[in-house]
Amino acid sequence: MLRYNFKYELRLLLRSRWIQILSLILLVLFGFSTFNGIEKVAKRKSDISIAKQQVQESDEAMLKLLDSVERGLPVSASSWTIPTSPMAVGNYHPRVAAMEPKPMAFVATGQADLFTHYIKPTVSGDDFALNFTEMTSPVQLLFGSFDLAFVIVYLLPLLIIAFTYNVLSAEKEQGSLRLLASQPISIRKWVFQKLILRFFWLSVLVTLSMLIVFLLVGTETFEWGGIVSLLGLTLSYMLIWFALAFLVNLFVGTSAKNAVSLIMLWVIFVLLTPSVINQLANTLYPMPSRTLMINEMREHKAEATKRQDEILDNFLRDHPEYAINDSTQSRNFYHSYMASQKVVKEALEPIVDTYEQQLHKQQKWAKKLQWFSPAIVVQESLNQLAGTSTADYESYRNQVIGFAETWRNHLMTYLYNNKPFAQQDYPSLPNFQFSYIANATIGLSVLVLLLIAGALLAFGFAVQGRLQKRGLLSN
Amino acid sequence: MIIKTFYKESKELWRDGRVRITFAIVVLLLGIAVWISARQYQNINEQHQIAQKAEREVWDNQGEKNPHSAAHYGTYAFKPKYPLSLVDQGVDKYVGSSIFLEAHKRNEAQFSAAADQTGLSRFGDLTPDFILLFIIPLLIILLGYNTFTKEREMGTLTLLKSQGITPWKWALGKWTALFLPVLLITALLFLITGLVLSNLKDFGVFNWQSLFSLFLVYIGYYIIFINIVLFISLKATKSGIALVLSLSVWILACLAAPKAASNIAEAKHPYPTRQEFAANVLKDKQNGLDGHNPWSKESKLLEQEVLAEYGVDSIHKLPFNFDAYRMQKGEEHEAEIYFKHYNYLKDQYSKQSDLYQSLALVSPYLPTRFLSMAIARTDYTAHWDFSDAAEDYRIATQKFLNANFAENSSYGEWGYRADADFWKKLPDFSYTPPKLNAILSSNASNLWILGAWMAVSFALFLITTKTV
Repeated sequence: MLRYNFKYELRLLLRSRWIQILSLILLVLFGFSTFNGIEKVAKRKSDISIAKQQVQESDEAMLKLLDSVERGLPVSASSWTIPTSPMAVGNYHPRVAAMEPKPMAFVATGQADLFTHYIKPTVSGDDFALNFTEMTSPVQLLFGSFDLAFVIVYLLPLLIIAFTYNVLSAEKEQGSLRLLASQPISIRKWVFQKLILRFFWLSVLVTLSMLIVFLLVGTETFEWGGIVSLLGLTLSYMLIWFALAFLVNLFVGTSAKNAVSLIMLWVIFVLLTPSVINQLANTLYPMPSRTLMINEMREHKAEATKRQDEILDNFLRDHPEYAINDSTQSRNFYHSYMASQKVVKEALEPIVDTYEQQLHKQQKWAKKLQWFSPAIVVQESLNQLAGTSTADYESYRNQVIGFAETWRNHLMTYLYNNKPFAQQDYPSLPNFQFSYIANATIGLSVLVLLLIAGALLAFGFAVQGRLQKRGLLSN
Repeated sequence: MIIKTFYKESKELWRDGRVRITFAIVVLLLGIAVWISARQYQNINEQHQIAQKAEREVWDNQGEKNPHSAAHYGTYAFKPKYPLSLVDQGVDKYVGSSIFLEAHKRNEAQFSAAADQTGLSRFGDLTPDFILLFIIPLLIILLGYNTFTKEREMGTLTLLKSQGITPWKWALGKWTALFLPVLLITALLFLITGLVLSNLKDFGVFNWQSLFSLFLVYIGYYIIFINIVLFISLKATKSGIALVLSLSVWILACLAAPKAASNIAEAKHPYPTRQEFAANVLKDKQNGLDGHNPWSKESKLLEQEVLAEYGVDSIHKLPFNFDAYRMQKGEEHEAEIYFKHYNYLKDQYSKQSDLYQSLALVSPYLPTRFLSMAIARTDYTAHWDFSDAAEDYRIATQKFLNANFAENSSYGEWGYRADADFWKKLPDFSYTPPKLNAILSSNASNLWILGAWMAVSFALFLITTKTV
């Protein structure tokens, strides 16, 4: 029977032009979204490489300047920018702390439009001064991006709904159901086979058109592991929607009613559940007010500024050699400034931490509740795959703050030793290397999605079997 | 005929259990959304007031200080939440809520709410605008997809035709039956919002006029959807097909078009990255007058000019502190640089918004979204308006401080300190958002597009009724 079903289903799909139409739609959707994604990644890469190149150029200029100073030649630069001062190096020649995109970054924009991908931390200024958000038009953030993840999470289910809502009901409406019932196959088995075949064909189309698009639009580095994960997620998400369509086909009546029910499910899973969970996360673990935080920060800073003299006095008492060697105003300023900076940082740390902690709690909560909607699971997994999830940007934030500390400490040693920065010190300047957090949960997500789909299908079989006593044909 | 059809359709709709459930769900969602937004609105405005007061106290109690130190110490401008954000949150979540006002620098608004939330927030929030813009059109589709196809399917169309109906009257009856429940639900929401707002404290700029305009915009949006859904129902042969087609229109208009528009807008008219922007500003600053650098070429030039103007040969003989004067000139120069660079951003955005408007021809969602945000004062323009006002205040503050410095000290007297109660003389920052008329006239093109959509879709629908 499966063989017949397979043959006729294929013939039917070809003749009704479903396969042709779907291939075209999929190619257009995947093509446009992949193109958008790749364009964004390319811009991100070029922004970073331009920034790096600029640093390289300014480094060369710095080395030349150092060379002139060391040879005692006159220089035309302003006194406070001459790189023999370690603080001048730290402020005017910062390194680029960049977050290079993952090979699969084009898949999901995620939080990439919200956060910046490179920062140049300087020695002065506290961690509050590091602004991690990107300069984007908020309208763009509001509308979101037409990326591959959007096509997969939002649009693919709708295509599946259009493809499956009337599998059984059309037979009923055309009157061919009685004919079917006379065949040696149970109705649910028949619906099941039909849907699985449609799932099979759609999977083939999705896989092929994705691969074609990737080859045509061209991802520079083809990461097979990533593509397998992407396909795994997409196909298991599709299977869930087919399983839902199976249940709706079995339990609901006419074509239109089926379609309405499936659309309702789509609205619930894709639109409502995420926003409700987000709202709950915000209500349960509210972010403390940033506005009030500013007040608190100002008070701490004012206090630290008052204590700055005290801090410097202590510092100079502990290190009398600095007081003697202190020749210029600016040096004096930086000594006291950098010393008190640490105090300010320590005072502000608990405030910064509350935000990170609250965000952690929200993320944990969201992670727990994500299983209420396969759409969330897939979106989050795709973000992970692309390296654009909230967690990725949080890790970037922490790594940059860590690097800013390293940068500061490295140059502060020169400052407090009153050792001028020289050419030979250049190679030992610290550099930032970003490393992505490991994403071990994608495999798990795929597995759970498959289990849910399996459970839905099994449920359909079990319950419909019992209900069948009432008779599928009786109206 | 119109009234009879209307009665019959309304009764039929009401008898359908699913319709009642869907209606109840939408009303419930709206209730929750309004409740959440109202709480948020109150919360944020309370915090806003506390912060504003505390910040002013910090400023007033600086003690004796050099005015320029105070300028570097700076102050904050906090953005209030506007009453109609209760209906449409707009881009509020994505723009910062506070601007640090300091010497030499125009800062962008900091701390957007979206940056402090999980990735889930990008799916959208359960706010009234989400329901008004996405869910109610969906409700229209669910209520109306089979309005005409059911007559075909049940075979009543032939019956109707044999009775000699006037197609347009019959169609208009059906149209009204679909329009009335939508009108009721929307009116209810706006009425409740109005009542909630007029009972909340500090409703600032709330007026019923704006709320009513917002209501009209949404009603226009729904009329367009009703026209489209009924047009499809007239043309389609089966209910299922009509439903799927209407849904495709919905997806295209509400989900796909805005996202595609945002992608195209970004690709065509990109913003600089934050670092690029900072670097560009710095470059311009280095080429001009730096208030802190008396040795630069520009400083010397200024010095000579001033000396010539006052007819003295040394800056020590000037009747004011030249350091402070130079500081003020530098400030003015820097303000110009910022003006130029922020104007570039505004230019880019206005090009982007032209693009959004041209895509509004495909999607009635776009003009509605922009109008709704604009009237609620939660759009990008409102944000620009606020940040421009903050910048004006910043410039005025710098002038106020530098003037005190210049008048009360002599050249080179960096040790000068202003009195402890001098700070209280700085006027408060006050901001009034643009009036409704100004907003409507600057959004005239969106209004026209929405009107055109209404007219064309209604005409299309009425003309099609003839072919039934």
